[in-house]
Amino acid sequence: MKQKKAQWPWHVLTVLVLVGLAGALYYATSLMSYEWRWNRVPQYFAYQAEETQRATDISTVSELVRQGGSAQVTLRNDAGDEQHLTVDENSLQFAQGDDVAEGDVVGVTRHWAAGPLLWGLWTTLWLSLVSGVLGLLIGLATGLCRLSSNPTLRDLSTIYVELVRGTPLLVQIFIFYFFIGTVMNLSREFAGIAALSLFTGAYVAEIIRSGVQSIARGQNEAARSLGLSAGQSMRHVVLPQAFKRVLPPLAGQFISLVKDTSLVSVIAITELLKSGREVITTSFSPFEILFCVAGLYLLINLPLSKIASRLERRLAQSD
Amino acid sequence: MIEVRDLVKVFDTRGQVVRAVDNVSTNVAKGEVLVVLGPSGSGKSTFLRCLNGLEEFDSGSVSIDGLQLADPKTDINAYRREVGMVFQHFNLFPHMTVLENLCLAQKVVRKRGQKDSEAKAMALLEKVGIAQKAREYPSRLSGGQQQRVAIARALAMDPKVMLFDEPTSALDPEMVGEVLDVMKNLAVEGMTMVCVTHEMGFAREVADRVLFFDHGKLLEDASPTEFFNAPKDPRAQAFLRQVL
Ligand SMILES: Nc1ncnc2c1ncn2[C@@H]1O[C@H](COP(=O)(O)OP(=O)(O)OP(=O)(O)O)[C@@H](O)[C@H]1O
Ligand SMILES: [Mg+2]
Repeated sequence: MKQKKAQWPWHVLTVLVLVGLAGALYYATSLMSYEWRWNRVPQYFAYQAEETQRATDISTVSELVRQGGSAQVTLRNDAGDEQHLTVDENSLQFAQGDDVAEGDVVGVTRHWAAGPLLWGLWTTLWLSLVSGVLGLLIGLATGLCRLSSNPTLRDLSTIYVELVRGTPLLVQIFIFYFFIGTVMNLSREFAGIAALSLFTGAYVAEIIRSGVQSIARGQNEAARSLGLSAGQSMRHVVLPQAFKRVLPPLAGQFISLVKDTSLVSVIAITELLKSGREVITTSFSPFEILFCVAGLYLLINLPLSKIASRLERRLAQSD
Repeated sequence: MIEVRDLVKVFDTRGQVVRAVDNVSTNVAKGEVLVVLGPSGSGKSTFLRCLNGLEEFDSGSVSIDGLQLADPKTDINAYRREVGMVFQHFNLFPHMTVLENLCLAQKVVRKRGQKDSEAKAMALLEKVGIAQKAREYPSRLSGGQQQRVAIARALAMDPKVMLFDEPTSALDPEMVGEVLDVMKNLAVEGMTMVCVTHEMGFAREVADRVLFFDHGKLLEDASPTEFFNAPKDPRAQAFLRQVL
């Protein structure tokens, strides 16, 4: 009989190893007298932006209503025209009846604003999403072309896949930037998305092709013998089964894509990595910021692999 | 009903030329049950697959009710609707329930509504004796049950002809009977059938005619009594000595 051994001592050991590694890192940075300043980090996620409110004319404060931390100020000039302002109460510069000159600051309003790291995260997210969807469509079409009986379609799709897979993504991004940017005069985001989705498309094409080929020939034959056309057999019988098999590699491809979006920082798209590097130049806290950037990539990718494995389990119910 | 004239199918794999079906001609009348016999590699499957165009033949002609298979004007999908096929390995669609397996082609090809398709499917499942498994996935069924579903799936298209390629060869012995029973019932109901099988009992009992193939050639075309009692061709005699 197989004895069930307790697992928890091993998990404790795992935690000890991780703590040890963190300690070693801390020690190494203290040797180079690095000063950890995590308290500086939050402002780069979100901060209180201030907006100054100014008087537009020479006038007097005719009315002042304080209400729940904010103040409503009414200014009246000689001609009797009124200007209404709302400012934060503790920033108020004038009292009832005071004279105000043109351009004087009456007070400020404060509101939360997203910092550069959040903006970078957002850019990375939508770049990944758009390139992922386009890459999936391109890959599906190309993968089916690879399997087509038409030699031209087969040749063209093979050339595309081999060209893209055989050259570095960084080179492709530059080519697209200079080609689309200068020749077609479109934005850098357009160039970045084009490069990323064509790159993803080539890999997705290979995943789809091998997935379709892994479905036994008898499945297609059974469908065709029932009178389904080649397209109907593909759509109803082969692709749904292939999809289940390609889900893990597809998820891996999309996770790669999210990480690869960091490469478009070289054509000055301010995505997560570039935002981080900009923040470092002002904060002088490279380790904290880079750890945050890495953490944010993880924040996207961990749920992605979670969703993929859950989908996989759902689809496995017919096995 | 089925007319096969001078059918030739050659496989050429890197210079290795195999005449898998070599100049075969035969007719199948409506309601007739043919059993195709022959040693392994003699071209039985290839012959059968030529009848519904799964294998493209090199020369000759195949027609069903006057519809020419090789005619470029013939819609191959319309042709195949009339010909049901049952495979050795069932080839059920594993991502669909039994009921969905039976409904797919009815809906997509015959353009029947969901209700009509399901009613037809349930009636057929009833007939092959597994209506209670309608909502199961194929992987939960035994081999014999899967093959009966496969037969029902083909019947759902109201075919004029049913082709069987060794439908019981992949089954455990105790399940062979249930599948053969379904086939016998079909034969009794007057279905036109062409069956490749190694079940000699079935051939004797149900077949109207026996075709014997060897090396792609049709060597015997006789009634079961003639074939089993007095085979003319020496290779058919040798084959029978081995299997009986
Ligand atoms: N796709 C193919 N490519 C090349 N040769 C083939 C192919 N299919 C069949 N053959 C050859 O054609 C011949 C006839 O094969 P077929 O499968 O029709 O025989 P069979 O009578 O059905 O045999 P079995 O009883 O083993 O099923 C064999 O020599 C086989 O090797
Ligand atoms: Mg065979």
